[in-house]
Order: sequence, then structure tokens, then C-alpha cells
Amino acid sequence: MVNDTKDFVDAAPAAYRDTFARLLGFLRPYKLSLTVSMVLAAASQAASIALIVITGTVINDAIKPHDTGKLELYIVLILVIGLVKAVCMVGRRFISGRQALGVEYDMRNSLYAHLQRLSFGFYDRHQTGQLMSRATIDLQTVRFFLGYGTIFFFQHVTTLVGVTVVMFVYDWQLALLGLAITPILVGLAYRYSHISHPVLRDVQQKMADVATVAEENIVGVHVVKSFAQEQAEQAKFEVRSQSVFRQSVLANRQRAFYVPLISFIPLLAQAGVLLYGGYQVIHGQMAIGDFIAFNLLLSMLVMPLRMLGMWIGQAQRATASGERIFQVMDEPEEVTDAPDAVDLPAGDGVVRFENVSFAYVPGRLVLEEIDLPIDAGRTVALIGHTGSGKTTLASLVPRFYDVLEGRVTIDGADVRDVKLASLRSQIGVISQDPFLFSAAVRENIGFGVTAATDAQVEQAARLAQAHEFIAKLPDGYDTVIGERGITLSGGQRQRIAIARALIVDPRILILDDATASVDATTEAHIRLGLREVMKGRTTIIIAHRLSTIALADELVVLEAGRLAARGTHEELIETSPVYREIYEHGLLEHELVEQVEAAAS
Amino acid sequence: MRVWQPGSYMTRQRGAEVDDWSWKQTVRRVTTLARLTKPYKLRTALALLSLLAATATGLAPPYLAGMAVNRGIEEGDTHALVLLVIAFLAAGILNWLAGYAQTYFTGWTGERILADLRNLLFRHLQRLSLGFYERNRAGVIISRLTNDVEAIDQLVTDGVTTLVQSTLTLFGTAVILFILDWRLALATLVVLPFLFVATAVFRIRATRAYNAVRVKLAMVTATLAEDIAGMRVVQSFNRELQQERQFRRVNDEYRQSNQQTVVLNGLYFPFVDFLSSVAIAIVLGFGGYLFFNDEILIGTLFAFMLYLSNFFDPVQQLSQLYNTFLSAVAALDKIMDVMDEEPEVQDRQRARELPRINGHVRFDNVRFGYGQTGPEVLHGIDLDVPPGTTVALVGHTGAGKSTIAKLLARFYDPREGAITIDDIDLRDVSQRSLRQQLGIVPQEGFLFAGTVRDNIAFGKHDATPAEVVAAAQTVGAHEFIMRLENGYETEVQERGSRLSLGQRQLVAFARALLADPRILILDEATSSVDIGTERKIEQALHLLLSDRTAFVIAHRLSTIRNADVIVVLEDGRIVEMGTHDELMARRGLYLSLYGDWAAEVA
Repeated sequence: MVNDTKDFVDAAPAAYRDTFARLLGFLRPYKLSLTVSMVLAAASQAASIALIVITGTVINDAIKPHDTGKLELYIVLILVIGLVKAVCMVGRRFISGRQALGVEYDMRNSLYAHLQRLSFGFYDRHQTGQLMSRATIDLQTVRFFLGYGTIFFFQHVTTLVGVTVVMFVYDWQLALLGLAITPILVGLAYRYSHISHPVLRDVQQKMADVATVAEENIVGVHVVKSFAQEQAEQAKFEVRSQSVFRQSVLANRQRAFYVPLISFIPLLAQAGVLLYGGYQVIHGQMAIGDFIAFNLLLSMLVMPLRMLGMWIGQAQRATASGERIFQVMDEPEEVTDAPDAVDLPAGDGVVRFENVSFAYVPGRLVLEEIDLPIDAGRTVALIGHTGSGKTTLASLVPRFYDVLEGRVTIDGADVRDVKLASLRSQIGVISQDPFLFSAAVRENIGFGVTAATDAQVEQAARLAQAHEFIAKLPDGYDTVIGERGITLSGGQRQRIAIARALIVDPRILILDDATASVDATTEAHIRLGLREVMKGRTTIIIAHRLSTIALADELVVLEAGRLAARGTHEELIETSPVYREIYEHGLLEHELVEQVEAAAS
Repeated sequence: MRVWQPGSYMTRQRGAEVDDWSWKQTVRRVTTLARLTKPYKLRTALALLSLLAATATGLAPPYLAGMAVNRGIEEGDTHALVLLVIAFLAAGILNWLAGYAQTYFTGWTGERILADLRNLLFRHLQRLSLGFYERNRAGVIISRLTNDVEAIDQLVTDGVTTLVQSTLTLFGTAVILFILDWRLALATLVVLPFLFVATAVFRIRATRAYNAVRVKLAMVTATLAEDIAGMRVVQSFNRELQQERQFRRVNDEYRQSNQQTVVLNGLYFPFVDFLSSVAIAIVLGFGGYLFFNDEILIGTLFAFMLYLSNFFDPVQQLSQLYNTFLSAVAALDKIMDVMDEEPEVQDRQRARELPRINGHVRFDNVRFGYGQTGPEVLHGIDLDVPPGTTVALVGHTGAGKSTIAKLLARFYDPREGAITIDDIDLRDVSQRSLRQQLGIVPQEGFLFAGTVRDNIAFGKHDATPAEVVAAAQTVGAHEFIMRLENGYETEVQERGSRLSLGQRQLVAFARALLADPRILILDEATSSVDIGTERKIEQALHLLLSDRTAFVIAHRLSTIRNADVIVVLEDGRIVEMGTHDELMARRGLYLSLYGDWAAEVA
């Protein structure tokens, strides 16, 4: 597993015990069921011990003296206790099972709820994969431990204590002899758990390496074959395959050493007890029934002792996983509602950037001292090279990030003073390569509106020039798209995203026009539709294509985070060298257009 | 287009459906496994022997303990007691040593077989032609090498051991019990049928329940992944509450489905435990009765009680094996299916090496269709391309542009007609020698995990650092590479995700340039890149295309316009051919296509 803790720089390294305590906190709502489980567990262990004690008594009291009546009674007793034990076990399993599931449910919901409150900056810094591994693998480790580990611990401890006490009651010297191996057994089990874990984790890592080469070669088969690199790739693969083999053999050697040894140690104790105990029976100091019971009790110790050793390892791993989960839970929410936040005041969508500066990473300004007033209903196109700050500037309006200096106002109100829900409901965003959910088209379009009517959805789709193609889909508006459904083309996805933004009827529209190519006719339709839609709405377009220029009332040129120029196309051609340079590139294309038109006439 | 998510194969379910249980298939499975074991006959034998020894010595201690009571304690014979305890310990020590040997040999052999299988499968996959990769989803193929091999891993390491050990223990114990006292043995074994039935029922129900749980868990994971990936959209549209509600619902569905397993576990294990209590009652009750009739000794009762656990554990372990076994057989079947595939394009028996070519390409009345019975997609293509010519292939989607490119690279063979380079038919030379002289730049600019240098030198491993830098400089990639944190030694992550689309294309160009092919096949990317990089790419293209024969599946106006020959394809036929000016004057299909392109960028 990749060590990605370095990405969570702000989290202070928590002491094991603190994290452990926090984890146990998740059990608090289940105090009652936990207590009942413990009682039932104790009861069933007591019953197990009782059965063995009765065995000894039966032999002494009934079998040896040839007492049929007593024998019958004892057998009935055994069956009754066996039944009671089984019932307790059923109860315990049901209760602790439900509890374990409940804890898992709670933890997952908590994590999800917190993730929702974290802002764009957090998601810029962390990949989905990392977050997912915390929400799945780490969560699983923790829930096994909280759900089952705690009760098992209690059960084993109870057994150990109970058995030890009874053994001492029978014969304290024999008990000491039998228990002598206990520390060794626990120690060995713990040691094995401790050293095997990193080795096993390494095996997983090496297997992931194998999988990477496999994946690359299969997804990139074109390239491999094109460059005739099959043999080289084979060699690469075999090296990694061999790595897995060697590491697995190492893990196996550890297992070969420890596991049979751990099975053997209890036998030493049993041999000792057989000898010394047998000696005592021969010399009449112990009844044969007690001797047999004692031996059976000894074998009852083995499992709990081994489990205890491993349990420590499990606790450590659960704590480590818990730490990783808490790293996410402890992330501060960067963009939140101010305590006295208000709704967005009524208005027509006047946007003002006042002396705005911004940096994603401290020290590296992406925007510097931007002053940009935009009147209501105007369409402004942001133009600039990659990295000039176009997208960043636009994302300050819906408060996806907060400014470092200066402020952004909408209709007079600083966006930081406005409730996020109110703010964002008035801003429609259509981003580059828009993200759509695996759901019906209807749900995707109606995403921003609670209970959108079919009429609303269709109207938005029409405005976005999407209705025609949606109607032609197998299930129309109910067609499921995405992972589990149909894959749409880039142009189709963009249009659904436009519809999604429009249905909200926002005051302000933010549009990024970098999309995969659409055919000319559709392109023209979309352009037409957008022109309609942009009337009366303040629109900020992040322009990647020169064809966008025609849509805008005015153009804003950004260069290295600063406002370089502002005006209409004609004004800028005269006054801005940056603009000229960008425009010139597209000029070639314009020339060709003219040629076509000339040839066609 | 959805970008491939690295590691998505991990969320794929482990399917345990085996359809074919015929005798023939089973024989094939066993033969395949046996073939894998062949090189390691000695170790396999040792593994088996030590397994038997371990099992046997594991069966001894309870018997010896029983004897210790009967012959030693009850008789008051200290001497016999000591001897028997020594024997007890000896059995234990032997068991320990046998256990060590068995674990070591089984593990080693198992892992070795797996590594061999992995390598074999990979090698076979490399041999298969492009058609296989186009017919099957990448994710499915990958899971053969990963998930399916892992499924067999479980079987080969733990599975076989448990199978042999548990079965032998079960039988061995039964035999010993019969030897000790056949009547008590019979009485005790009465419990067994109940145990078997309960275990079988449990196992089948549990498998079904766990499968259902897995499905629900996959839903939870998928919902979570999607919501995390789309969190920005969720926040933009104030959708937090609804999404959270939806997630809770999915989370709850999973919880409910898991409840089933809790109930099943909660009933089965206590029942088994109750059976063991019943067994104790039988041993003591019936055994006591036998004792009253002087037909049994106390020590024997003791031995019986010690042997009881020898029944219950193996049965449960065997039932756990059920899942492992099913998964492994399903996996083995899928792997065998892949191994049965033969490459469509194979080198001829005495294929020769392609000599250094000039790059004169000819298509002679080439007809082609996918598969043996697929409809024809190329209907008689005739092309004569002198060395050094840049050919732009244009046409609507599905016109046949990429098919021509694939045939030239001999990813497929034509049905009729021939493709020749310098008058040598492609089918007469080895694929390797052919592709070494071809340069292919696919659309996506696919890069491998490794350094920038590794990627540029991909086609020519022995390229000097100077050559690598020269190639990068020529395509205009050198500047941005030097700006990366480690320059040429910067690790490019899976599929080059660290670099932008435009940067990846430039690196792909450098890679093609370094391989210095005589014939270049280029599939132009359609997605737009930022203006600065776009210019660089055009310049790089210009350099790349000069001085060699090039087939370009073109999308850029500039590329098309500057090509030596433009080939216009429609429905698998060449309808127009010529330079840009010639074709414009024709006022045919080219003009109308061109009109569309120009309008796109207007």
C-alpha cells in the first residue's frame, strides 16, 4: 500500500492510545448490546468449563462407582448445560453481529457526511483512490476489530481467567506446571503476527506491481506491438513475477517455522501434566476424573492463548487504519458558511472582483490584484494561455475557493457573507469535461432542483439543444447513462451539462467551452441556444476557442494571473500584443474558411 | 470518453459460477494442473510425504494419552506412564518437524506453480493478435492475470493441504476410534450425519448470502467512488442532502443483506457446538454403561473425548474450502479459455526478416472484413505510395481509415489482395522485423510507468541519453521536460497522468522519432489542446512527417492541407485522391468535408 500519509501534512501524529480511545468511542451508542454480549459470552464460556468439570465429576462419581442412577442424571445435566450454552451463543452472536453491522454503518455514514463538507481544495489535493482505500479497506479493518475483536478479547480473557481459576482449585502445583508455557505461547503468537504482517503486506505490494505491468500491457497493447517490445515487456513481467514468488516464499518460511511450533508448545504442557498428574493419581493424591478434567481444561486454553497473541497485532492494525480514517475526519472545512451568513440579496447578477489575489499553494500566486467589474446581463469571455488563471478566476464566484486578498461581490454582497446554498443556487456552472452521474438523463438534468417536473427537464433540454438526441435514446429521458449505462459522446455530455445548469435558472452562468469536437451543425445549434440563454444572465465564459469570441460582449485577457487587457475584439487587436498572438494562431483557420467560401461560390 | 481508472479491476467480483462439470472438462483441468507440477516432482512428493507424516503424527497423541491412563495410571505402573509420555512427546516433536517440512514444501511448490502460470499466461497473451484485444474488454483480460490467478493461489496453497489433511484426519480418527472400541465408536459417530447435513446446508446458504452481500458492497463502493469523484458537482448544485440520503439508503441495503449472514452464522456454529455437547454426553453415557459391564477402560473414554475435536474442526475446514474450490475451478476454466485462443496473425514457417526498407507501400486490390464471417469493410483498395510521401487518410467515421492503418501494421491480414513494402508481401516477413521498421503513434499518446527517458527510448532501449534529448528537442518537448522536477528522470505515472494531453503527445512523437522508422503510421488526436502546445505539435508533426513515408489519419486542417496525397475514403472505398488544391477544384466529397471542418473551427 502506498504510503500516502505525507499528503495529510497538517495532521499531527496521534499517539496510539488516543486513536484507540477514539475508535472505542464509536461503540458508545451500543453500550447496552455490548454489555449483554459480554454477559452472554461469559455465560457460554462458564458453561464450557462446567461441562468439563462435570465430565470429571461423572467419572469420579458415577462411572467409577458403577452408579447408573447418577450417571443418568449427569447425562441429562450435560445435555441441559449444552443446550443453555448453545442458546447463549446464539444470543451473543445475534447481538454482537447486529452491533458490528451497526458500527460499520455509523462509521461509513460519518465519513461520507464529513467528505461532503470538505471543499474543492481538499479534492484537488487528494485522489479518489486514496480516499476510497480509507473508506473501504481501512474501514473494514476497523469494523472487524470494533465489531468482533472487542468481544473476542473479552471472551478469551474470560476463558483464560475461568480456566486458570478452576485449574488452581483442582491442584495448584499442576496448574502452575500447565500454565508455565503460557507466556511463551503468547509471546510466540504475538511475535509471529508482528513479523509476518509487513512481509505479507509486501507480498500484496509486489502483486500490485505485477498487476500494473499486466494492466499497462493490456491497455497499451497497441503501443507494445507497434514498437515490437513484446520480449522486453515479457522480461519486465517475469522480473516482477519472480519478486512475488521470492517474497511469498519468505512469508511461507516464517509460517513454516512459527505455526507448527505454536502447535507444539501446548503439547509440552500436556506431557508434563500427564506425567506429573498421572503420578499423583497413581499415588492416590488425585482422582482419575479430576485428572481427566484437568487435561481437558488444559486443551481449552490453547485457542485463547494463540488468539490473544494475534489479537495484539490486530489491535495495532486497527489503530493504524483508524488513524488514516481520522486524518480525513479531522480535515478542516475550508469553505463554510459564516455564522451570520445571509441569503443572496435580490439583483440582476452584478459581479465585481475587487483587488482579488489568490494562490492554491502558499507563496505561488495564481491571480494577482484583479479588478474586474461585470455589469448585469453582460457576457464576458476570459482569454489567456494555459495557466493564466482563467478557470481559477471563474471558480471564485461560486466560492469554490476563497480569495487570499480582496473580495468578490455579487449584487453588492461579499460572497463570503452569503449562505453557500443560496449563493450556488444562483450560479450555473458548466465545466470542462462535465461529470455526469450514473443515473437517468432526467435525474442528471434535474440534479440541481429538488423534484424537477418533466416539463422543466424537457424545457431545459430544449434550450441546451439536447432534446433531439435525448428523444432518440433507447429510453428517452429515462435512459441510464454512465458506468452502468450508455456512454455519451463529449458533445452530448456537454449539452446535458448545459441543461443541468439552465434548469436552475441562475442569475449567473459560468461556462468553460473546451470540449471534445462536435460536428459543425450541432456546434451551430449549441451556439444559437447559448446565445438565447445568455440573454439577461451575467455570463463568464472561459474561452479556449476563437469561435467563442463572437458570443461575448467583451473580452478580458489574462496573462500570468494579471489582467492584461479588456475590451472588444477590434479594440484588443489594436492595443494588446498578447491578444494578437493568441488570435493569430486561429487566423490560419479563418483563412481556410474564406477559401472554402470562395470555392463554393 | 471515460478515462480508464487504474486499478478498477480490483472492484471486480470473484465469480464462482462453474457451468461445465463434464468428465471431459474435469480431465482437462487436472491435466493442466498436472503439467504445471511436472518440473517439481521431487518437491511435490516431499510435500505429500510430509503431509502424510504430519497427519499421522497428529493422530497419535490422544491415543497415547489414553494408553497412558489405561496401562500406566490405572495399573499404577509408573514405568509405563513415563514411557508413554515420552512416546507422546516424540509424536509431538515428529509432528512439529513434519509440519515444518510440509508447510515449506507445499508453499514453495504452490508459489512456484503460480509464478509459472502467471508467466505462461502473460507470454501467451503477448502472442495473441490485436483482434483478441479488440474483441475483449481490457478489464476482463486483466482479471485473468490477476484475480483468476489469485483464486487458484488459494486453492494450491491452503486448499490442497486442508483437503488432504482434513480428510485424512477425519478418516484416521474414525478408524482409530473403531480400533479402540467399535461400539462406542458407532454410538459417537451417530452425531456425524447431523454435522454433515447442517454444514452442507449452511455452506450453500452462506455462499448465496455472501454473494448477495458482495453485490451490495459493490454498490456501496461504486456509489461512494462516484460521489467522491463528482463531489465538486454535488457541491456546485447544492445536492449534498439528497446524495447523503441516497448513500445512507445504499449503506443500509448492504447492512440488511449482511444481516442474513449474521443469522446463518448465529445458528450454525452454536448448533455444531451443541452437537459436540451431545457427543460428550454419548461418550460418557454409553461409555459409562460399557464401563459398568467391564467392556471398556477409563483411558479409552479419555481418548475418545480428546478425539472429538478431531471431527468437528476438519468438517468445518472442509466446508470453508467449498468456496475456495468453486472460485478456483471457475478461474481455471477462464484461464484455460485464454490459453486455447490462437493468434490470428502468425508468422509463416520460414518467414524472413524484413531488410532495411525505403518505404514504397502498395495496396493491391485489398479486401478485408473482421473475423472470418464479418461483413467486408474494405472493398478493393488500390494504393501506390512512393517512399517519403505523406498520405492523409480522411473520411467519415467508419469509412475505413484506421482499418487501412491496422492492415499496414499487419495487425490483421487482408482477405484478398496483398500489401507490399518495397515489393515484399507483409505476410512473408516476421511481424517483429516489420514493426521494428514501422513507427506507430496512436491517438491517445499512451505512456508507460517509468521515467520520461524510458518512455522516449521505449522502441530503442540502447539509445544514448544524447539521442533521447535530441529526439525531445526535435519535437519541442525538451523545454517542458527540463521544467519537470527531475527532468528526464521524472517518473511518469501510470499512463502518463502527470503530464497534460499535449505534453503526452509530444513525448509520443519523440518516442516515434527516436525509433526512426521508414514508415510512420499516425492517428491524430481529436481532442483540443491549449493553443501554445497546439503550435508545438504542428511543428513537431511537420518534422516527423518529412523524410519518411507516412500514413496519417488526419484531423487537423494544417496536416491535411500539407499532405502530399489526400486519400478520401467512403464506405471502405477510395472515392477521391489528390492534393488539396486538386481536390478542392473537384468540388466533390472532399469539398463538403472540408467545409464542415472549417466551420467547426470558425
